[in-house]
Amino acid sequence: MSLVSVVQSIQDSGVAEWMRTSVKAMPIIEAIHVLAAATVFGTIFIVDLRLLGFPNTRRPFTRVSDEMLKLTWGAFFTALVTGALMFAANANTYYENTAFRFKMLALLLAGVNMAIFQLVTFRTVGGWNSDARPPSAARVAGMLSILVWLTVIFFARWIGFTKGYHFEAPPADVDFTF
Amino acid sequence: MNELGASLEASSLSQLIKDVTWIIPLLQSIHIVTIGVVFVSSLMIAMRVLGRMRADEPFPVVWQRFAPWMWYGLIVMVVTGALLVVGGPVREFTAFSFWLKMALLAVAVIATFVFGRTFAAQGGGGAAPSTTRADAPAMPAGGVAAYAGAAGVGQGRSGSGGIADASGVARAVGVVSATGTSSHTAAVDAPRVASGSGVLDASGVAAAEFSPGAKAVAVGIIVVWLAVIFLGRAIAYDVEVWGSLSLHN
Repeated sequence: MSLVSVVQSIQDSGVAEWMRTSVKAMPIIEAIHVLAAATVFGTIFIVDLRLLGFPNTRRPFTRVSDEMLKLTWGAFFTALVTGALMFAANANTYYENTAFRFKMLALLLAGVNMAIFQLVTFRTVGGWNSDARPPSAARVAGMLSILVWLTVIFFARWIGFTKGYHFEAPPADVDFTF
Repeated sequence: MNELGASLEASSLSQLIKDVTWIIPLLQSIHIVTIGVVFVSSLMIAMRVLGRMRADEPFPVVWQRFAPWMWYGLIVMVVTGALLVVGGPVREFTAFSFWLKMALLAVAVIATFVFGRTFAAQGGGGAAPSTTRADAPAMPAGGVAAYAGAAGVGQGRSGSGGIADASGVARAVGVVSATGTSSHTAAVDAPRVASGSGVLDASGVAAAEFSPGAKAVAVGIIVVWLAVIFLGRAIAYDVEVWGSLSLHN
């Protein structure tokens, strides 16, 4: 089974049909997706700033990450589910979309960056946990994480302007009275 | 509003924003990023009030950590939001979601401002003695002094802070401040120590520093922020979301 046929079967699924035909499904799912993505970025940003040694350097890194990452994973899971529903609705269009592919690539890079940090740099956390200035490997991981997540968000928005359908503004002669 | 929308739509800035392909996606991306920063900063403050996050830090410390991000992020949000409105004033002004978002945004900002001014200035409902926790980090003398100083605000103003209770925690923090070394002894062995502001659990974390009313306000602020973010995206789908309530009709 080719990837194209998998994508087609996703688009033909009942969930995809519901997403396309329900009046309120797409707006609500997309709004929740944005909310979850903003939360993912905001919580990861706090952890990344701690890795960069800025601004709350009194707090041990593990304490910052422990309390933040619960929220991050919850929000990420929500973004994943809502994103999958949005993808299903127009799977073929998304699959062909360059911005969508760049977004997926950026997400993959974020995962690789996190994995390297967890498997290598984090193993020595005991030595720098409370340091105001973590080692360079940790700072690089923090900086990369911020850049990659900014890229994810940019391409996510770019998709909306390149996927082939837009929500047009109402006509200029609309009655503004209310 | 009709005239304002029409004149904005015809302005050269509006045309520029619409004509240059990357401006709107870039503005929206910055807007979403700053929403993330502002929302999570607000969430951290609210979770601290609820005792669910950073309960080992006094409220003024948490406030000072996150409030600047919130206010500066809000400025970026307003600037990018205003440019997005200029780029599509008709769409925005005819969206019920837009006006509801603006109203709720005003509520969230005012409520957060008043809330922060009230409790950060008073030192919250008390200060949790994090330096007494067994896993508390060794902190620089200056940091500890600032920490204890911030806690002292709560002690002085509220008279009911975790620092000022009868459990000996106050002395422990005082020693930390005076010597510049962290102490891990005071509350560690006490399973539950009654304090003026509530109850300290085994780890010395104040469990009930804020009144139920304050906690309700904190929850309310988060709910309003969630609604603001939701409505921001719903603007693009105003008719679908609001039906006959949408001003697009």
